[in-house]
Amino acid sequence: MRIRSVLGVSAVMLLTSASLAFAQTDCKTLVPPSPWGPNDQTGATNRITPAVTKAAAAEIQEGKVVVMSYPLVDGIPLFGSRFTKTILTATSLAPGGAYGENQLTYMEDTWLSQSHVGTHLDGMGHIGRKDCYFNQTAMGKFINQNNMTKLGLEHLKSFATRGVLLDMVKVFQAAGKLKTNAACRKPCLDGGTLITPADLQAALRMYNVTLREGDIVVIHTGWGDLFEQFPKQNAVFNSAAPGIGKEAAKWLVSQKVVAVGADTWVVEVIPGEDPKEAFIVHNILLTDNGIHIIENVRTDLIAAEAAATNRATFFFSMTVPKAVGMTGNFVAIEGIR
Amino acid sequence: MTQNPAPALREGRRRFCLTLLGVPLAGAALLSARAAVGQERRYTIAFANLTEEPGVTLEGTGFTGAEIRSSFVLAARRLPLDLVFYDNQRDAKKAQANAEDAVARKVNLYVQYFPDPDANAAIAARLKTAGIPMLAVNYPVPGAPLYTADNLAAGRIAGEALGQFAARSWRGQPTVAVIVGAVEAKADRVPARVQGVVEGLRAKLPGVKPATLDTQGNPARVGALLGKYLAAHPGAKVLVAATDDATALAAKSALEGAGRASDVAIASHGVDRNIHGGINDKKEIDPNNRGSIVIGSVAFYLDRYGYDVLPLALRMLRGEPVPPRTVTRHLLITASNVFVEYPPYDMN
Repeated sequence: MRIRSVLGVSAVMLLTSASLAFAQTDCKTLVPPSPWGPNDQTGATNRITPAVTKAAAAEIQEGKVVVMSYPLVDGIPLFGSRFTKTILTATSLAPGGAYGENQLTYMEDTWLSQSHVGTHLDGMGHIGRKDCYFNQTAMGKFINQNNMTKLGLEHLKSFATRGVLLDMVKVFQAAGKLKTNAACRKPCLDGGTLITPADLQAALRMYNVTLREGDIVVIHTGWGDLFEQFPKQNAVFNSAAPGIGKEAAKWLVSQKVVAVGADTWVVEVIPGEDPKEAFIVHNILLTDNGIHIIENVRTDLIAAEAAATNRATFFFSMTVPKAVGMTGNFVAIEGIR
Repeated sequence: MTQNPAPALREGRRRFCLTLLGVPLAGAALLSARAAVGQERRYTIAFANLTEEPGVTLEGTGFTGAEIRSSFVLAARRLPLDLVFYDNQRDAKKAQANAEDAVARKVNLYVQYFPDPDANAAIAARLKTAGIPMLAVNYPVPGAPLYTADNLAAGRIAGEALGQFAARSWRGQPTVAVIVGAVEAKADRVPARVQGVVEGLRAKLPGVKPATLDTQGNPARVGALLGKYLAAHPGAKVLVAATDDATALAAKSALEGAGRASDVAIASHGVDRNIHGGINDKKEIDPNNRGSIVIGSVAFYLDRYGYDVLPLALRMLRGEPVPPRTVTRHLLITASNVFVEYPPYDMN
């Protein structure tokens, strides 16, 4: 009887410790609370109010639409072990496969890949510290085999706001400090080039722009030219990246932006400033402040447009599916002027 | 993870800032302090590398001169520094010519990585005349603070790790130990590393007297040397201290080939890219390879010298005190801490 009690207590203790293994961290010590309250799962798109969208609409002056995403196709550079594979289903094109007297046929695709491929948005559930994610969410309690039950893309609001291009190539050229990469066909910042708050501010001054709460910042480094050369330069593209450092990230946080995009796979500088920190800018923007990161943004066309017109702002049009419980997704972006 | 202060701390900072806003004089002082930071002086530092010959490894590890140079470039990004690089090409005349060029360029500080004491003394005298302070890497320069690897300490860490492993896993079983690699390479101070291993082993396993097998720096010789040693100790558990990572991997291969992998634990030195990788670049020391007989390698961080040396140089230039000798913080890297010490960012 005594042995049975001991075994029973041990079993309960084991079960308790097993469940705790999912979420043992006190997230209040690792991640700050959301400024939008303890139940917030949305993050920085809370800043896109009707007034913000209305003000952004003033950017549409000519109706010109500029493509800001790359084609999504097998062979593009992918992060780590990610892959893409498309399979076309076209069975109804076979003789006798058409439906009805109207001979209807159809095709569809099977898309095998991960959500963070090509031009894509990092959602609130993408990056954390230990098991702690945006708004002190102890994520171990909110995941199952298929998806997250908190912080999914379905909680995001609109991204209909003003986009601001920050042309780092022009800034570095003007400062006489542009060190390009031999594989880039056009001027680019080399991998490992650190972008500081002063560089961001110089880019704003160049086009006489002041950031507003609710803006989306898009950084042109020229590194995206390597993406465009896929698959030839995939290894170079993935080996490093120019990008913002910690101070620049903190400055952007202080400007209350909604998202930071760039024409690199990572937005932040790689190798990072401190070799013992891993993708720390992702933590600063996403985990701590709910500010989205948009990777592999095609920036060359909007940069050329800005240079030609001396205007670096545009209406930021981006489609993010209401993908329930997902950590991110590929997106289509257009800059409308 | 200190990027985001705790909420209470942030509130404290907010109150502090509000207080400042209420006191115009204090606010003005803050602004002028910021302006002073904005006008921070930039310095030019020269780094004269031992050699940048492709493929040539340094300090009895797998690191190259190019990796050391790269660490200076990366570390300088956040510092108010411009760098001038020289390659001493392991040649005293070249080293002296480099120093002359640095004098002509009027650099603010000269970092010398060169083993020849006579050349270093002559260069130190020349730079002193020119008013250029020096900082020495791995080999002393008269009058200059020294930044150096500590081979004795590193060896002790490896020796103690092996001893602890044996005490924990092989208690009561006959155990022998062998140190394999370029054990006689005095130029790379490997004998000090060997001495450290001996001391570390003795501290944990007083009865074990390690043998040494000299590969003369050629990992291809490990198999034959270790094969003979294993044959002479058929029933024993074997602790292997490799002086570098390439030797450790050669030893692992030889032991597996001899069917003795289950009798062996290996500790290494260096932690170069031979032995640790990343997300895709899977290598021996990896969180998903915790059962490896390579229990760890003691980090020498030659790929991070710039992160240690440049802050020292900056302190010297600002007139701050610098210790006469600063040593690398050696640490045993295992499957448990490799991704903390070397966060992966390999995407290829």
